Amino acid sequence: MNARLDSFSYDDEIVRKFLWATMIWGLVGFLIGLIIAIQLPLPGFNAAPYLTFGRLRPLHTNAVIFAFAGNAFFCGAYYSTQRLLKARMWSDALSKVHFWGWQAIIVAAAITLPLGFTQSKEYAELEWPIDIAIAVVWVAFAVNYFVTLTKRRERHIYVAIWFYIASIITVALLHIFNNLSVPAGAFKSYSIYAGVQDAFMQWWYGHNAVAFFLTTPFLGLMYYFMPKAADRPVFSYKLSILHFWSLVFLYIWAGPHHLHYTALPDWASTLGMLFSVMLWMPSWGGMVNGLLTLRGAWHKVTEDPILKFFVVAVTAYGMSTFEGPMLSIKSVNALAHYTDWIIAHVHTGALGWNGFLTFGMVYWLAPRLFQTEIFSKKLMEWHFWLATFGILLYVVAIYSAGATQGLMWRAFDETGRLQYPDFVETVMRLMPMYWVRVMGGTLYITGMLVGIYNLYRTWASRPATYEVPVVQAAPLNPAYTDPHAPATGGLWARFTDMGWHRRWEGMPLFFSVMTAIAVIVASLFEIVPTFLIKSNVPTIASIKPYTPLELAGRNIYQREGCFNCHSQMIRPLMYETERYGDYSKPGESVYEHPFLWGSRRIGPDLARLGGKYPDLWHVRHMYNPREVVQKSIMPAYPHLQTAVIDFAAIQKSVDAMAMIGVPYGDAVNTAPELARAQAAQVAASVEAAGGPKGLADKEIVALTAYLQRLGRDLKNATAGGAR
Amino acid sequence: MRLSDIMSAANLSAYAEVAMILFIAAFVAIVIATFAPGRQRTYDAASRMPLDDEHPQTPR
Repeated sequence: MNARLDSFSYDDEIVRKFLWATMIWGLVGFLIGLIIAIQLPLPGFNAAPYLTFGRLRPLHTNAVIFAFAGNAFFCGAYYSTQRLLKARMWSDALSKVHFWGWQAIIVAAAITLPLGFTQSKEYAELEWPIDIAIAVVWVAFAVNYFVTLTKRRERHIYVAIWFYIASIITVALLHIFNNLSVPAGAFKSYSIYAGVQDAFMQWWYGHNAVAFFLTTPFLGLMYYFMPKAADRPVFSYKLSILHFWSLVFLYIWAGPHHLHYTALPDWASTLGMLFSVMLWMPSWGGMVNGLLTLRGAWHKVTEDPILKFFVVAVTAYGMSTFEGPMLSIKSVNALAHYTDWIIAHVHTGALGWNGFLTFGMVYWLAPRLFQTEIFSKKLMEWHFWLATFGILLYVVAIYSAGATQGLMWRAFDETGRLQYPDFVETVMRLMPMYWVRVMGGTLYITGMLVGIYNLYRTWASRPATYEVPVVQAAPLNPAYTDPHAPATGGLWARFTDMGWHRRWEGMPLFFSVMTAIAVIVASLFEIVPTFLIKSNVPTIASIKPYTPLELAGRNIYQREGCFNCHSQMIRPLMYETERYGDYSKPGESVYEHPFLWGSRRIGPDLARLGGKYPDLWHVRHMYNPREVVQKSIMPAYPHLQTAVIDFAAIQKSVDAMAMIGVPYGDAVNTAPELARAQAAQVAASVEAAGGPKGLADKEIVALTAYLQRLGRDLKNATAGGAR
Repeated sequence: MRLSDIMSAANLSAYAEVAMILFIAAFVAIVIATFAPGRQRTYDAASRMPLDDEHPQTPR
């Protein structure tokens, strides 16, 4: 035994910082959620161009995922990692870089998203300069983390840390590959992938952001903080190991279930479905493991609000991971996709699993970090019950909204016609449920306010200076050998003896590399064929790139976040082709950098919009949707009639597109001239139809030109018989 | 000739199945190893790690 003991202390200052950041950004994220929840039943609530639903919805999702859940993960990871490794974080400076860098990124997101700077890929909206900053801060975090691992004083690495390691590695990979893009100005870029490939990349990212940002890090937290709060070890350590490896092996394949019945090749969609269904087992294994950790401590749950939060969190994990695989089954997905069902599913996970696990953890940490009693246990109870009823109201209302709208979309009457041909009728039906959601959200936020007040009062009674306990532990002995007698005999005996596994666990770098390989190989096998095997994306001769003016209009479409409510992807299902027209083909979106297929239909699909209405209809509709569709809930965009098109910027957009292989021909040199000419035509047609005059250089003309182009090329192909 | 022409002609699809089998094999190996007898003591020590902030639980 090594006699020398190191004396050291843990860095709790950084944990306190992350704790406050979690709660404050959480409140901000929830409040933005409440605003957009009110905007749906009350379109007048879209107060200014910067505050419309399309711009605030990405801010809500980013704030809740990366600011609230992100800071919660960091808070718990810094606290638990140091204690599980018996080592202080390697560099306090890097910890601070991580903290302040991450907060600066959040502030940058809060400014740029309302300004309309967006890559328009869900949860990856932030533009390229911020993406680079995220990569830099993440690397600082990772370096600090991995060096700390090598300086640890426990030989075994506890399973919670495996979950953290997998999260750190995978999030880095996902972030880099999904965000590869060509800049066209300081805050505008185009994804290097197009159409089917971009969609595949995006949902590989999107699903694994849920997996490796909202699931694995929080499972790590669960495996540390639940045993802590219950004061007993996890029910089965074996099960937790199995939980870990199954998630690493399975999760990465599940992304394509977000693209069922779209133009994605069928094999990919089926593969995603199968792996999603397999996820049932580890998810429920993990849930059972969490709940059974409370064996013999159930009487404590009635008295301890912290355990209450954990029990609901783990139950919500079980419910949403039961529902996820179910939704990934194609026939269920056909009903649920594009509806509020998905929104309800997500909120069971986010409000229940991530939210409640965070609250339980924060309340457990507060007295220890602020070195005083919690201010009020009664207020903790209030927070718990307010938030629990908030979740119930939210999800019950939104599940019914999803099922209602999904069923209305597919209903045929006895004559074989759509029963609800007017889309807006299916929206009207949701309004009562939207108001119940507002109530549920208000309760949840009230709970959050109670929580913050409680934490503030706890903090206020902290000691003048924090005590910093000194911990003593011996460093790892480099000459250590496994006392376990090496197995003799055949390969099988040596394999099951597990000496190799103990050695692997002892080598964090090797362990990390193996995890990374499992994740990368899976990703390559799933994604690469759509890039390199031609039969996956059959081309269509009549599909041509957008004109420069249409491209400018598409930029506006992206900026206003239209894709948050409108899909451009008609599924090959009878009730969709009846309602919207011919189903969408993979070859149609070969020039779509990025793809704009959308994931939710709060408004109707737009893939075949071109030519359906005259130009003037679009001008009036954008000015005030309720002028043409009385019950529409779309925000009004009157400013598009006064904002002037930035013709010089169009050239940059065209050049960036040309750089990633879009055949632009002459437009590479003359984009602004071409755009002006087409704008004059559109403006003339609007004026001739009795519309407003002098629109030739206004943004509304570009947007109209874009909307009128949607689906036109395919119609031309059918008309001319050319394929 | 583009890269995608070469890749399309190369008939690589069988390798996806090979990868699948390797993955399943690796996973089954982990399951067997995890549940192999004789590890309970190690796991018991490891599962107590979160409960003690001051005293190391596993050998130095």
